[in-house]
Amino acid sequence: MNSRSNVGWTVIGVIAAVVLAALWAAPLLWALSTALRPELETVSSDFHWLPQTWTLDAFARTLAAGNLVRWLFNSFLVALLVTVITMAISLMAAYAFSQLRFRGRSLLFGIAMLSFLLPFEALLVPLFRTMHQLGLINSYAGIVLPQVVAPVVIYVFKQFFDEIPADFREAATMDGAGPLRVLWSVYLPISGNIVWAMAIVTFIAAWNNFLWPFIIVTSNDMMTIPLGLTQTYDAFGVRYAQLMAAALLGAMPVALAYVAFQRRVTQGFLAASGLKG
Amino acid sequence: MASVRLRGIRKNYGDNPVIKGVDLDIEDGQFVVFVGPSGCGKSTLLRIIAGLEDVSEGELEIGGRPSLDVAPSERGIAMVFQSYALYPHMTVAENMGFALKLAKVPKAEIAERVQRAAGILQIAHLLDRKPKALSGGQRQRVAIGRAIVRKPEVFLFDEPLSNLDAALRAQTRVELARLHRELATTMVYVTHDQVEAMTLGQKIVVFNGGRIEQVGTPLELYERPANLFVAGFLGSPRMNFLAASLVGEEGAIASVRLENGGLAEVAADAGSTAVGAKVTLGVRPEHLRLLRAESSTAEGIRGTVSLVEYLGDLTLAYVQVEGAAELVAVKCNSAAQAPAAGTPVLLAFDPFHAFLFGADGSAMPARARSAAAPAVSH
Repeated sequence: MNSRSNVGWTVIGVIAAVVLAALWAAPLLWALSTALRPELETVSSDFHWLPQTWTLDAFARTLAAGNLVRWLFNSFLVALLVTVITMAISLMAAYAFSQLRFRGRSLLFGIAMLSFLLPFEALLVPLFRTMHQLGLINSYAGIVLPQVVAPVVIYVFKQFFDEIPADFREAATMDGAGPLRVLWSVYLPISGNIVWAMAIVTFIAAWNNFLWPFIIVTSNDMMTIPLGLTQTYDAFGVRYAQLMAAALLGAMPVALAYVAFQRRVTQGFLAASGLKG
Repeated sequence: MASVRLRGIRKNYGDNPVIKGVDLDIEDGQFVVFVGPSGCGKSTLLRIIAGLEDVSEGELEIGGRPSLDVAPSERGIAMVFQSYALYPHMTVAENMGFALKLAKVPKAEIAERVQRAAGILQIAHLLDRKPKALSGGQRQRVAIGRAIVRKPEVFLFDEPLSNLDAALRAQTRVELARLHRELATTMVYVTHDQVEAMTLGQKIVVFNGGRIEQVGTPLELYERPANLFVAGFLGSPRMNFLAASLVGEEGAIASVRLENGGLAEVAADAGSTAVGAKVTLGVRPEHLRLLRAESSTAEGIRGTVSLVEYLGDLTLAYVQVEGAAELVAVKCNSAAQAPAAGTPVLLAFDPFHAFLFGADGSAMPARARSAAAPAVSH
């Protein structure tokens, strides 16, 4: 009886998972299906799940027209810089909050966590003014700098560092390591999986960020992929196949990066949640 | 090698004092053991010597140099942690050579020193392994090896054997003693295990409540404890204590009356204690003899055997004595000597193997046998 009931729930669970996966994948598959059709077929009144004529024409036109390669490069550079700087700042801040004892530590950590309460949209105008005064409009620094403050990453790293026995820090201190060296040579390698997980999440968030680049960039050459896609639409009119091809090409690097590092990301989140060290 | 000198060391956590004024001299090449119950301040004092804790007050000299303002890595010390604290991402060789790498010692010299330390500790075959691939005992050796390669003037050990099983602990204890003979370096060792303290220490420092209770060699502490705490802390089972009142002193022998009305004699100088004052009689389990209660000639403290424990090499009998708060432990050399539970017995002892403690807990000076007439207990 009990065993039958378990099997029943398993079957229901599997069916639910398949349905949810199909719902999640449907738009993606539809985008791929659209990108592989001739442009004319995308506006045809006859509905077909699969292309009637298979072609890579949309991909070829997307790569030939517009500024896609430049936007890909911009997105990659911006996401990489945001990730590296965010990781560096967050790791150092988290280490200080977790392991060092100094006056005002709790207050500073509280302020850092309070910034959770401020939506990024509320900071758009002051940030834009600051960037304007610094002469950073239409520059990589202007796109990158406002994105490198990540209290949630600091919080996750701090929680993780809190769980690492202080003996490691003390042993390294007795070995002659200063705080930066302890962080670099001991805490960072020990925290490898969670650092990778946070880095991938930060990279994807920076790659997909639309709002801030939209505010700070006006030059076509400085646009990132999400911003560039809007230009693709304007340039081609309602050319759905090309739009979908551009979207897929834009998402592909980050999707590939996620697939490549999926195991580390999963291990990192498990480690952060305390389920597995 | 270096001496360590502590003067007036105090440490407070907020309003809570954990070290309440410690003066201590550790000589060059000496193996000193800090022992005491959990929370007595022994580990905190070790960490102060290591430079991992600041002091609220006091002075510290290592090798004759004032050291409180010196960075931990520059004090000429190395520490073995209770958890070993081996860096999990480094191999054994990298763990052992990390301090030398930070000190920018040439690679060839690092390799040579790591090999030499590994040879001493017989872990040369483990140098390429990561800590997770090592057993507890091997990790412990690597932790010691990491300390050795630095050629410190003082070794600090913070309960290094507490994570090992009983057999390995005994084996490693012997190896540590051998290591101290070979290296002839000052070693300070913290433990709450009195067996480790008695077997390893050339000098034992007994801590309690942030203060030093007594400093001495293992035998001095065992045979001449300064107070009730030290007497009760060293020895297993611990010394038996019986509440009593002083009846008088004749020659070298003080007489006391126990709570059950019986009289007992102790070779102690009770001259400064008033007759009738509350005292505590202390006798170690191995110095008590069990006699038949019905024997007309025997004299001793009356009681009833409550429990008998057979430990193989010896047998422990626990005797209930009227008026005593705790059972009195008696070591019997063989199971045959131990009466069955429920048997009425007499507890006898040599007055020269008993102790008398005043109301403040401090031991009254013991009398030597030559200074006293032969005495028996009643």
